[in-house]
Amino acid sequence: MKQSNNWYLELLLGMRDMLPMSVAAATYGLAFGLLATQSGFNIFQTISMSALVFGGSSQLVAMEQLSIGLGAASAILAGSALNMRILLVTATMRNVLASRPWWQVGLGTFFATDASVALMQSAKPRNMTTSYWYFFGGGASLYVIWIAVTAIGAIISSGVPNPQAIGLDFAIIAIFVATLPGMWRGTKDVLPWLLASGIVLIWGTLFPEYASWGLIGGAVIGAICAGLNNEH
Amino acid sequence: MNIEIWMTIIGLGGASFAIRLSGYLLASQIPQDGMWARALQALPGCLIASLVSLMMLNGTMLEWISAVMVLAIAAITRKPTLAMFAGMVIIAAMRFAIA
Repeated sequence: MKQSNNWYLELLLGMRDMLPMSVAAATYGLAFGLLATQSGFNIFQTISMSALVFGGSSQLVAMEQLSIGLGAASAILAGSALNMRILLVTATMRNVLASRPWWQVGLGTFFATDASVALMQSAKPRNMTTSYWYFFGGGASLYVIWIAVTAIGAIISSGVPNPQAIGLDFAIIAIFVATLPGMWRGTKDVLPWLLASGIVLIWGTLFPEYASWGLIGGAVIGAICAGLNNEH
Repeated sequence: MNIEIWMTIIGLGGASFAIRLSGYLLASQIPQDGMWARALQALPGCLIASLVSLMMLNGTMLEWISAVMVLAIAAITRKPTLAMFAGMVIIAAMRFAIA
């Protein structure tokens, strides 16, 4: 575990490095706020959902299930299925959370999102891959922005310019594509990455309704493939 | 509808936190070296590769072209933020040109 007296500096650095992901997530949060209002959520419900669930696709799917009348149980199940991938995110944060008090583990896992994995790429050159406060700062800043943009979306639920015209809808894809080169560890990643992507694409094509399970399957099988390969 | 919304918010919030905590608790049972440790080290890259594949699954030709250009810019410059904004400009310009 990394011990540091400059925890607040690490926290600020995490917040700063999370900014690109926050910009990308903000577009998604805004969209959720807009759609939630149109689906019959009031502003308190919209903000509460963002504050408690903190997962864009999961929130959107649960909301959609409710709006077509499938009920709370179905909405919870569908939303949970989409959030299952976060299980893999917090698994990757093992070294960040190890030996921390229970409340820090709780908060650290609560703030974990896909963006936390992207943040690992920025953490590497800074030697912050095991810094709790770096990931806490990044996660907490994203959380605050997420709730804020959701609220803004709910308030200004009409009269928003077309986000596609300025490429805003592409931001979330672009930021994850842009983090890939930093994640690359050399030729040993070729097979696991191809396997992971191939499984997602094939599964998603065959079973579009359950595409998010392909994501989990692809990531896990890709990682197991890397584990079986003993070359370094 | 109102009670259903609140049930969903609280239920999904609780389930999401349980999922988050479970991931860490499961991973903490894995040994520090060996096959499963190597798999855990490879997991972030595989997860992002899978996520990008899922996002691109129903992508249009313009999105695919823009994604490839973002990847190239990020690989050359090693600046993800620059690559992200470049991608947004590229796709907006292509959409404008086609429209």
